[in-house]
Amino acid sequence: MTNELNWGIPVIAYLFLAGVGAGALTVSSSVLLRGGGGKFGGGHFDVARYGAYLAPIPVIIGCGLLVFELGSFEAGHWFKWLNMYKVINLSPMSIGTWLLTMFIAVSLVYAYTFWSRDAGPGDRHDTLRRAAAWIGVPLGIGVAIYTGVLLGAMPSRPFWNSPILALLFLLSSLSTGVAAIMLARSVLYKKKLDTASENHYRESGYILTASDVLLIGLEMTVIFLFLMFAHLTVGDVKHAVSVILGGDMATMFWLWVVLIGLLIPALVEFFFIIPRLLKHREFEVPRGMELIMPVAVLVGGFMLRYVVVVVGQVTGPVGI
Amino acid sequence: MRQQNTSDTNYISARRSFLKKLGAAVGTATVASALPTTARTAVSKQKVQYGMVIDTRRCIGCHACTIACKAEYDVPLGSNRSWVEYVEKGDYPNVSRNYLPRLCNHCSTPNCVSVCPTGATYRREEDGIVAVDPEICIGCKYCIQACPYDARFSNPVTGVADKCDFCVHRVSEGLAPACVETCIGGARIFGDLNDSGSEISRMMATNPVSVLRREQGTQPNVFYIAADHSDERNRGTNQYVRVTTHRKYEERR
Repeated sequence: MTNELNWGIPVIAYLFLAGVGAGALTVSSSVLLRGGGGKFGGGHFDVARYGAYLAPIPVIIGCGLLVFELGSFEAGHWFKWLNMYKVINLSPMSIGTWLLTMFIAVSLVYAYTFWSRDAGPGDRHDTLRRAAAWIGVPLGIGVAIYTGVLLGAMPSRPFWNSPILALLFLLSSLSTGVAAIMLARSVLYKKKLDTASENHYRESGYILTASDVLLIGLEMTVIFLFLMFAHLTVGDVKHAVSVILGGDMATMFWLWVVLIGLLIPALVEFFFIIPRLLKHREFEVPRGMELIMPVAVLVGGFMLRYVVVVVGQVTGPVGI
Repeated sequence: MRQQNTSDTNYISARRSFLKKLGAAVGTATVASALPTTARTAVSKQKVQYGMVIDTRRCIGCHACTIACKAEYDVPLGSNRSWVEYVEKGDYPNVSRNYLPRLCNHCSTPNCVSVCPTGATYRREEDGIVAVDPEICIGCKYCIQACPYDARFSNPVTGVADKCDFCVHRVSEGLAPACVETCIGGARIFGDLNDSGSEISRMMATNPVSVLRREQGTQPNVFYIAADHSDERNRGTNQYVRVTTHRKYEERR
């Protein structure tokens, strides 16, 4: 691997952070609009709130990293990136820039509606909050998909040039978004005084964990399809995917992405939702698990971006 | 019987209308299949399409083109707009070394242009040269990823995408590109592909030519005579192949 990477850690981190933010906004907005026992947000209002606070921060940090990584910024032209806003064309990056800008604006408005301490369903920001959520769902999905389309647009990079990559990134974004919300609520957890709010906390924990299992399951299916079709084909794509199947990046992929990022969290989370799912018992998760599982999912999400971005750049068309 | 006749007439008229429709459909299909030709005519209506033929039989691998290009543009250390690859293959005593001069292919459907988010990379309408506007380019490196020929690099001094532009400043003054001017073997022939009387058109018409990575669908305008397409990564061949890129990147990308 003597190739120099044109897109390094800043781009990898951006793809991950934008995914987490987009996932968090989509999940938060959906939870708010779906309600769940009561008015908008209802019993899961706190889940929507964590998601709302979590959404803009990683996206803004990620976009900042992208700007720092630009050749023009490194050469000292600090504001040249604003040229992005002078055109709209069909380049995925151009569309993505406008999507991200709208995303940051909408997610900040959405987060603002949760700002006051006594925010709740039906308060004075309710209409604005719901409007932002309605825009937030498609916008979040759009940003998550765009990160995959960005890489998929080039026939010269056979590892990326697949329609399923965008779906993989969408699922990974939603799953890491859920994980980020789970992590935030378990880190900030305080023992509730009354049993009713304690039950609410458990119930939203169950919904988040169950959705995460479902999303990880779909993600594994997509990864399986990606690998299977790459294995069954010939030429450039087969050569590119062999790097993760048994080549230089195999350990990175199988250990960090598949085992730590997907398989273990999915099995552990599945183990904890089984009693509630099948026997209608209470959903109980030890505090340690509640902290470790989301971290594993987030690490897996980062490593997925890492492996995809690096392998895409070190492989190319075979032959000249 | 009368009833029968009517139904026959109906049948015939129905068949006629079907045939008419079929004819129309065939006509449409003919027009549709003729479309690529129409599109080609539209392309060839463009007055000038600059291109290059590289006759590798006349290349001695002296790197004069690389040096001329470096001098013309003051290309930073470690980067190349133009370079020469050595392709060695075979087992003693059946061996060969061939030279493959490389540069931007100035494709007719360039992927670098379609991914550029700012419109800084563009294909000139007047002569088909693919160029970068350094005033607009922000250095996002998307085009570097998209180019199947690895012809682009990020210029560390200016911070923008950089590549061969067929010496557009020389060509617009009626001069040949620096690499063509300096080539001692006359291996590089530059000219207008749309002018059937030009030297390049004659070379194209009288020699078997090939392009690099044709399957990428970018329609390159740099053609090679007797190019060795061998690549180290070609699987399924037991023959020894070694490619020396003479670039910072030791492998083809």
